[in-house]
Amino acid sequence: MKVSLNWIKKYVDIGLDVVELSEIIGSQLGAIETVENLGIRYEGIVIAKVVSCQPHPNADKLKICLIDDGRQNKSVERNSDGLIQVACGAPNVHAGMMVAWIAPGAKIPSSFPKAPITMEVKDIRGIKSNGMLASAKELAVSEDHRGLLEVDQGEPGDLFSKVYELDDYVIDIENKMFTHRPDCFGLLGVAREIAGIINKPFHSKDWYLKVLDEVFESSDTLSIKVDNQIPELVPRFMAVAISGVSVNSSPVIVRSYLSRVGVRPINNVVDATNYAMVVTAQPLHAYDYDRLKALDNSDEANLNVRLSKDQEHIKLLGGKEVEIPKGTIVIASSTQAIGVGGVMGGESTQVDNQTKNIVLECANFDMYTIRQTAMIMGLFTDAVTRFTKGQSPLQNDRDLAFTIKKIQKFAGGEVASQLVDLHGDLPKNRTLTIESKFINSRLGITLNTAAIAQILKNVEFEVEIKGDSIDVTAPFWRTDIAIPEDIVEEVGRLHGYDNLPISLPVRSIIPVPKNKDLELHSSLRQLLSGSGANEALTYSFVHGDLFSKVGQNKDLAFQLTNAISPDLHYYRLNLLPSLLEKVNMNLRADIVRSEDNEFALYEINKVFNKVEKDDEELPLERYDLGLVFAADAKTTKRKYSGSPYFLAKNYLKTIISAKNLDYYSVGFEPLTANDAESNPWLNELSKMFEPKRSAIIRGLNGQIYGIVGEFNSGLERQLKLPDFCAGFEIDNRLFRDNPANPKYEAMPNFPKVEQDISLKSPKKNSYSKVYDAVWSALNELKPVNTLPVLEPIDIFEPDDHKENIHISLRLWISAFDRTLKAEEVNKLLDDVAAQVKDKLGVERISSSDTP
Amino acid sequence: MDYKFKKVKTAAQSLKNPKRLKKDGLSILKAPELKSLYLEIPKQTGSDRAAFGKEVNILKDELKTLADQALSTDETISPIDVSAPFDINTSSDKRPRLLSNDEGSKHPLMTELEVVREIFQDMGFVSIETRQIDDEYHMFDSLNFPTGHPARDDYDTFITKEGLVAPAHASIMQNRNLKKYRSNLDKGQPISVVYSGRSFRNEDVDARHDHTFYQVEIMYVDKNIHTGNLIATFKTFLERYYSQSIDVKTQPFYFPFTEPSFELALSCPFCKKKGCNICSYSGWIELLGMGMIHPNVLKMGGVDPSVYTGFAGGLGLERLVMMKYGIEDIRHFESAKLEFLRQFR
Repeated sequence: MKVSLNWIKKYVDIGLDVVELSEIIGSQLGAIETVENLGIRYEGIVIAKVVSCQPHPNADKLKICLIDDGRQNKSVERNSDGLIQVACGAPNVHAGMMVAWIAPGAKIPSSFPKAPITMEVKDIRGIKSNGMLASAKELAVSEDHRGLLEVDQGEPGDLFSKVYELDDYVIDIENKMFTHRPDCFGLLGVAREIAGIINKPFHSKDWYLKVLDEVFESSDTLSIKVDNQIPELVPRFMAVAISGVSVNSSPVIVRSYLSRVGVRPINNVVDATNYAMVVTAQPLHAYDYDRLKALDNSDEANLNVRLSKDQEHIKLLGGKEVEIPKGTIVIASSTQAIGVGGVMGGESTQVDNQTKNIVLECANFDMYTIRQTAMIMGLFTDAVTRFTKGQSPLQNDRDLAFTIKKIQKFAGGEVASQLVDLHGDLPKNRTLTIESKFINSRLGITLNTAAIAQILKNVEFEVEIKGDSIDVTAPFWRTDIAIPEDIVEEVGRLHGYDNLPISLPVRSIIPVPKNKDLELHSSLRQLLSGSGANEALTYSFVHGDLFSKVGQNKDLAFQLTNAISPDLHYYRLNLLPSLLEKVNMNLRADIVRSEDNEFALYEINKVFNKVEKDDEELPLERYDLGLVFAADAKTTKRKYSGSPYFLAKNYLKTIISAKNLDYYSVGFEPLTANDAESNPWLNELSKMFEPKRSAIIRGLNGQIYGIVGEFNSGLERQLKLPDFCAGFEIDNRLFRDNPANPKYEAMPNFPKVEQDISLKSPKKNSYSKVYDAVWSALNELKPVNTLPVLEPIDIFEPDDHKENIHISLRLWISAFDRTLKAEEVNKLLDDVAAQVKDKLGVERISSSDTP
Repeated sequence: MDYKFKKVKTAAQSLKNPKRLKKDGLSILKAPELKSLYLEIPKQTGSDRAAFGKEVNILKDELKTLADQALSTDETISPIDVSAPFDINTSSDKRPRLLSNDEGSKHPLMTELEVVREIFQDMGFVSIETRQIDDEYHMFDSLNFPTGHPARDDYDTFITKEGLVAPAHASIMQNRNLKKYRSNLDKGQPISVVYSGRSFRNEDVDARHDHTFYQVEIMYVDKNIHTGNLIATFKTFLERYYSQSIDVKTQPFYFPFTEPSFELALSCPFCKKKGCNICSYSGWIELLGMGMIHPNVLKMGGVDPSVYTGFAGGLGLERLVMMKYGIEDIRHFESAKLEFLRQFR
């Protein structure tokens, strides 16, 4: 919303400079986007008279003018008569014309604010030219560039800015601030607010408070007929015909004022309607009466207010032909649509230089319907901006009268028809009864009733004090006032929020519950980052191609219908694809790092699919932890052998054991054995892994919580992953569902005996089966009062016996009450070996058989 | 490949199942689904016939490639014992170890979020997370945005095919919080919640705007809560966060779900109002949006607005972190670039 300070000053005596004013607007009305000093654009531009005008000797289209600037300019070269020579190519330049002269050193106003162009003394084809004579466009008065602006006020030597009140500032207030304030899209509304803020009673102009009935002297010269078929969507429709207008440009000052607040001048009739809109926020429209009549071959002008039919078309102002969506409010003649109601008029009845008679419309439209039409048709006009805020139908008659007077002033003409005013029950001004206590308690202040009343009266609320309570009647333009809280806002804002005394709320010291999930995530981050991993965040949305690259079914993912970028078309199903997508980039990145090119990237975030729902019947938001480890070939060769699966598993083991889950009881089972089919999250996750080199993670409670392992070769190729790359993704409910079980073992004071045991096991036995068998045998057979610890040392596949595997374990054992003898431990291991041989067919071998 | 013909698409879905490819190998080319597609070709009419035939052939070629891949995978990759602590035949110096502690890093947004959340927790707010996919009711209706209201246009909301939304603000939790904690009020306790998480706006991305960002919001409802309480609460938060005294000033704003609504600016903690490039030499930083909760919002949450009043307000996390470290481009946050991440150890 562009606000001209000079225009505002016509309604309120401000007495503040622009800096102070901007300050109070910002703190008590709404955020300011820009404040522009218009005056500097016009420095050095004066009004001059063209005294003579001769053809240029060396150019057909140029003329040499001698101009009289009232001898104001002291630095320019003059002839013996004191006139200044300027070359000019405008077709309308002639002797005797009053023009605006941009002197050398002054700037072209239209070149602001981007790159102001400064005028110079120039040699134009052998003739010296001092500055230039300017068009309306160059002067930023209108878009008109067909010739020079014909100055219609002032004397030679007058400053252009003085004559046209251009020593002005334009303050652009964010429209968003006024979403609920229909009145503030008019300068009258803004002026009223400023008065309220500086605590001055505001008085709207008489024509706005009281209808100028005398304007509507009815006549029957021209006949108009209006039929409103949709009163529920068009609560009020007023129209009147005016005859004998002479359409031309508006006075320069009118064009200049409209231009500075961002409204394009068209002609004096259209400008008059726009002038009223800028002042009061009520859009109006003028139709060419004779063109309208001709459309129907009728002897009267017909206006029908109705909903559009199937496949109705219209040529809009500006010439664009469009189809009107069915069900749109249209204004139509008897035969065709002539305007999209409340949005934009049509070309067939536009007012231009040929127009003699007009029909003037001032109507009220349903804001929701207008918004919908604007969205569907993509038309966001000044009228739309205003109608979608909910204008009051009580202002139509006032605005119509005001506009008629403006038209008569700019273009002449007389009211030539009966006044049409179609409406049902019009809304009444709302009265709210409020106790001052109510207002004070919500703002934390202690204003007395009289002070509150004054604040409201300043902005033209009607106020009646009744003891401690106040009857507040909102003026008709305040359609936003509905509940007592609206009055609280009004008082708070005009009093100034920054003037409110502040204090913290007071409450009991009862502790608030902690959020276990957030605490878990915090400690997971601590652990992983402390283990050399890097926390990443990636978008919740992914490109459709990513699903096919990793082999997932994108039909399970929620699809966004209105995302512009294809990178954001789907909600992700799992975290890993987003992380894997970042691996290659990071391995190749030219960054400073140690000798090793390797990293572990992880993210804790939510994933989604269309199948699973939560308690609210909304999509389940599953909280996952995903981690990817990757190393380039060189690093791998130097540091690792075997499968990277074990590295990813190590990370998982670190967090699981740190959370005091009994790590050895969390199962790692081959992926092929999983029952993923029934769970879309797990099923889609499993598609990324190489089944022979990955494992499902089973909690103590038997449920599967994720997968760890290497990725399948198809995916590795698609995402250009290195050979040594593995990862995991788990559902963080693993931790919540399998609660911590902290353990402590007392420590024996007697020395530990250390003994290794090597076993030859058929390959069908997994490592954990063998380890578990040894461990349970140990615990069953150990001497009383002892504490064993068993750790793996080596796992080895002999070259000659591929059907077997050798496992070496190291036992430390000590007693609480004595020093254990070596023989006791030897016997224990013999007994253990015998038991596992019976159970699993595992044979003890001498440790010399292992490398 | 996106197949246009439904029959081809359905067959492709069932044939391209990786498990099946692995099991069937090249014999997948003799699968009944593919055969029946070939039988369908002559039944197609007009120009469809050629197009249909072309798609079937593309599918066949695709399946051959996929089957080849599946087979080669099987041959070169040997199974591992997933229950073991390390791989077979690995010398102890080449077994997997975790990376060194000094390579690790935490994401700056997450670190800061913890700091912010913790201050509010210390002030007595229960901490919860916001949703990342929600319905229109919580995004708009429950927050006093009538259907079709132009205020909805200010929130460039992503919408799914099902009509769900990617929340454009953390306020989607207000109605839930009121319902979940309204029993506090009966016990003489306030409703006091801090809620944070990802929000989304369908807008153009540049150095200062991303379509994904984090918001932290608080709400507080009790008897006799007024606008001065709201300003004091945020001033106290800011002073704790920046460990110095801070001035605040307001600017009226419009949110349908609060009344009055305003933005709060703080005196620049980096230059103490002297003017610096962080505050654009104004001495002030506009950071927070807030207001008194609209009575309609309280009502929809089952709280009687004639007895209780409350406030809500929040801030964007990225801005806070960008100012703190002087980060010049918001897009770094979700880039997952190590060069960026490792600076936040």
